[in-house]
Amino acid sequence: MAKVTVSFEWLSGCSGCELSIVDLHERLLAVLEEIDIVRLPILMDVKDYPKAALGIVTGALRTHHDVECAKKMRASCDAILAFGTCGVYGGPQGSGYAHAQSELAETAFVKNPTTSTHFVPDQGVPKLLEEGVLPLDAAIPVDLYLPGCPPHAFYVFEALKSVLHGKPPEFGEHNVCFHCDRHMKHTEVSALRRVHEGPVEQDTCFLSQGILCMGSATLDRCRGACPTRGMPCSGCTGPSEAIVLEPNRDIRTEIATRMSMMTKIPKAKITTEIEKQAKTYYAYAMASPVFRQKPTFLLRRWIAQQGAAR
Amino acid sequence: MSRQLVINPVTRIEGHAQVHIEIGDDGKVGAATLHVLEFRGFERFVQGMQAELMPTITTRICGTCPHAHHLVAAKCLDAMFSAPPPKAALLLRQLLNCGSMIHSHAIHFFALAGPDLFLGQSSPVAKRNLVGLLEAAPELAKKALRLRSIGQTIVEIVGGRGTHPVTAVAGGMSYALTAQNHDTLKLLAAEALELANVVLVAGKKALLKDPALLTRLPLSTNDMGTLQGKTLDLYDGKLRVRRPDGSVALEFAAADYATHLVEEALPHSYGKQVLLKDASGATQPYRVGPLARLNCAEDTGTPLADAALADFKKACGNPSTQIVAGHWARLVELLHCAEKAVAMLKDDAIRSPEVRTAPGAINRHAVAHVEAPRGVLIHDYKVDQNALIESANFVVATQHNIASINTTIKNAASLLLDKSDTELLDGVEFAIRCYDPCLSCSTHRVGQMPMQINLWQGGQTIRTARR
Repeated sequence: MAKVTVSFEWLSGCSGCELSIVDLHERLLAVLEEIDIVRLPILMDVKDYPKAALGIVTGALRTHHDVECAKKMRASCDAILAFGTCGVYGGPQGSGYAHAQSELAETAFVKNPTTSTHFVPDQGVPKLLEEGVLPLDAAIPVDLYLPGCPPHAFYVFEALKSVLHGKPPEFGEHNVCFHCDRHMKHTEVSALRRVHEGPVEQDTCFLSQGILCMGSATLDRCRGACPTRGMPCSGCTGPSEAIVLEPNRDIRTEIATRMSMMTKIPKAKITTEIEKQAKTYYAYAMASPVFRQKPTFLLRRWIAQQGAAR
Repeated sequence: MSRQLVINPVTRIEGHAQVHIEIGDDGKVGAATLHVLEFRGFERFVQGMQAELMPTITTRICGTCPHAHHLVAAKCLDAMFSAPPPKAALLLRQLLNCGSMIHSHAIHFFALAGPDLFLGQSSPVAKRNLVGLLEAAPELAKKALRLRSIGQTIVEIVGGRGTHPVTAVAGGMSYALTAQNHDTLKLLAAEALELANVVLVAGKKALLKDPALLTRLPLSTNDMGTLQGKTLDLYDGKLRVRRPDGSVALEFAAADYATHLVEEALPHSYGKQVLLKDASGATQPYRVGPLARLNCAEDTGTPLADAALADFKKACGNPSTQIVAGHWARLVELLHCAEKAVAMLKDDAIRSPEVRTAPGAINRHAVAHVEAPRGVLIHDYKVDQNALIESANFVVATQHNIASINTTIKNAASLLLDKSDTELLDGVEFAIRCYDPCLSCSTHRVGQMPMQINLWQGGQTIRTARR
């Protein structure tokens, strides 16, 4: 059987997605028997865009150059897979959505306390997109999406298998809670609490303890790494299927509804807290139109209200 | 004829970059510069986030050494919330760091530098990669992959996930070691130690095969690394700066970094360079990473690595000025990390359920550092009374090396100027890879055009050569 040709491209991201493919460990050798990698910038010296059946693109669109590269991938590949939260939703650098692009560069280059120079590099460096950070499908049609920061090897393997064999993947569209054994229970907790503030009960749902956990509003491409290791979910895979599909459902309303049912904390108080801390609770998918198109979603205003666009 | 060489992009490094080499009318190499072409803006957009998010959000600065960002952010939070971690948490964090070093050093040596060393720079470009290495030296390549896999699995068990770990929190760790995980880790660490020995022997042999290889790219400069007393420490300690003549120039705590280090922007690059500065404001370049750390350390604190360190210093000099020796240094550290992991897992204290100290008063300013695989990593946060980030400053490993990388590119290009363009470009890429630069950290990205050489004269391209 002829091997399936695969081409990789890396836009604005961190290389964690590439490593998550190496994290297939022994199974990587099995995958390599079925595919022929024609382009992989981090590991190979091939620098043009060979034709391929599958194009795997990691990272978001940050510069005009990223957009050009995305288009070259689209033109050279039969199908495009947006791999990782950056490509699918913009990723953490999407938080730049809350700021003018010039502000980001000024903080790093002009107003930085340990930097002696006071100019923004502008000679031959690619120009940042005026819109900030965009997900991949803002520039090119995308055939397949695999969010996750990075996606756990289990999903990487299943996704590649399904693409190679032309079958839909079998991993479902669960949220993070699917993997978490903590018990949801009614409590007398009447105030919100932050995770660093002291001991956390290991068998009780974070929401029951008054700690904001994004698990019930987040897709599970991590296999529940955080709540099973004593940490609340920070939403790094991006929103759950319900939130993506329903215009009137949002992270804050989902979480506030659940938490207020289990504790004595009023729903409005929880909603307001998530809005006030939008930078924290929308940290990974802020750049995505999935949120911006929701009728009740005013992210830039919430952040601006915290003062100095903080 | 004045000409300019452009390598675009440089492949097989972590991140993306472009190299510019100016050749003057006298035919000699003038300036050589590595251009880092992407910018993400972490220092601005983390402002306003809750401080406790830093250990997980800053891992996303770099997928290759997220563990280092994770740990240094957690160290900042310990200081910020007046919560020194209990012993078990410190052991677990150091184990996480060892796992991450094993992963990163193993993948660098075999996937990034290995193809140059084992297949040779004259091998076909399309085969000079990990897949080519698997065909040419399957047993060794599989051992290296296994070693990386073990490192990453150690991180996954201790940190909750391999890439972008989650368990280091203010005051310690969110998750104590279970008996079952302890047993698994002991087996993994023992296997890693065995493999690290094999890999060190093989790597040393490949480096010594061609007598000219090791001494090809000398660079006499200052070295910076972290020590406890005179012993290498990858998690905490004082930063030592050692001059090329071997004398100690300076020792300082990371909290004083702003007194001794200064960042400078470069007009053509989104990566800032960092220099040492003295009281008068005069600056000097320096280097960080495995070679610099071994140059600063007098011992490693583990016996097998101590013997390997002595062997290294004997062959490469003390301090070693040979950039290529960095590949050897990386393997000595690999052995040290495996050995240290084995030793820490023998300490029963690592099994204690006491892994987290409750927070005390908030300190509004916290600075910490850690040794990332590629060198010194510093985080600096200021917070408001609610522990929301007011400002953040990150000084990452590759930034410290930029000045040295540029000098090395210039030296490599000078040696190869009368050779073919292919040899010249290959040689320059080889030189850059000695530093294992990680450009996602120092903000990354570039074009994906084929490698090409532009010959410039009077501001116009007169010839373009493509590989």
